[in-house]
Amino acid sequence: MHSLIWLALAAICVIIARICVTIITPSGSVTRRRSHTETCHLAVFLGSGGHSSEALSLVSALDFSRYTPRTYLVSEGDSLSAQKAVTLERLKTASAASLHLGVPVGRYQILTIPRARHVHQNILTVPFTTIRSFLASVYHVTFAPRLSGDSTFDVMLLNGPGTCVVLCIATYVNRFLGLPSPRLIYVETFARVRVLSLTGKLLRPIVDRFVVQWPDMGGRGEYHGWLV
Amino acid sequence: MRVLFTVGSTRFDALVDAAFSQPVLDALTQKGYSDVVVQCGNSQVGEFSPTDREGNVRRHGVDIDVWRFKPSLDEEYDAADLVIGHAGSGTILDVLRRGKPLIIVPNPTLLDNHQEDMAHSMGKLGHARVSTVNELAQSVMDLDTSTLVPFPPFDGGNFRRLVDREMGFEL
Repeated sequence: MHSLIWLALAAICVIIARICVTIITPSGSVTRRRSHTETCHLAVFLGSGGHSSEALSLVSALDFSRYTPRTYLVSEGDSLSAQKAVTLERLKTASAASLHLGVPVGRYQILTIPRARHVHQNILTVPFTTIRSFLASVYHVTFAPRLSGDSTFDVMLLNGPGTCVVLCIATYVNRFLGLPSPRLIYVETFARVRVLSLTGKLLRPIVDRFVVQWPDMGGRGEYHGWLV
Repeated sequence: MRVLFTVGSTRFDALVDAAFSQPVLDALTQKGYSDVVVQCGNSQVGEFSPTDREGNVRRHGVDIDVWRFKPSLDEEYDAADLVIGHAGSGTILDVLRRGKPLIIVPNPTLLDNHQEDMAHSMGKLGHARVSTVNELAQSVMDLDTSTLVPFPPFDGGNFRRLVDREMGFEL
């Protein structure tokens, strides 16, 4: 009986130590050099409405022959954002084709994630919807690359709102298990001039790059001008 | 010329009331904005019941086109010569990127006042005028579109460099 308790204690200690290491290590803060011909699997969360528009503006700035394939993560039932992603893909593919580039730029997929919290949702049921959302995120970020042979996301762009916290935690599951995990880049919405959003406040300590779009944020994040 | 009032997906009764008021309509007529369109979202509008989706309202001698939502406001922005809107960042970006004059009216009933920060920053930079509902008629009269500072076009360069560097690509 005693040995069982000790075993359990030891296991808990190992887990806590692993969590500490995961949190303290700035998970490969030095990214390895990539050659010009290498590609990155880009994942982007489209958080609906203004968040989706901003996230797609950010994606449109990137070189699609370098960031391929692309995965758009949309909230369940948000067909408008999915549609906007398809429109952006068509536009980019058309402009690449007109340049006669022999690069496969048109590779993308759209995945849906259950919402962590619906508008006007009863606070008591939020834990359940959040868990559902988390499980779907872990599936896409952690398991799907191993089960179906898809490539792991190399980089994940986040712009809010709440559900992207769940995606970040799913990324930390990879880091905890020592699996490849995406770099997390959070760009605070253009709408936030002086005060961070709740999502921003939660994610600032755990993402790899935390970017704001206004200079008056009091040093809370890096600022490179307006990005959308 | 056409003026478009817009509240996005929100409810902003005071702005819609102002759009229907004599001082504001007089000021608009005087400045040459005879074509008035109101996107009222979820606002409560006089004889317009919550189930009405679109209609035409006549106030103080002006025919006003009223409707709640459209899948995209792009065409409406394109057709407008002046936009008077709430301080939503999407509205602000969409209108200013088109080079359309904009009067921003922050909604004072919102609990979270981050929209007010946005409005005042845009006003300070000179890209738009900022007004309260009560001063709207005066703001329309005082509006000189030639003094508005042009809004910079979208430039993805900074973000592209940021991500490329983060991912280890040579620039």
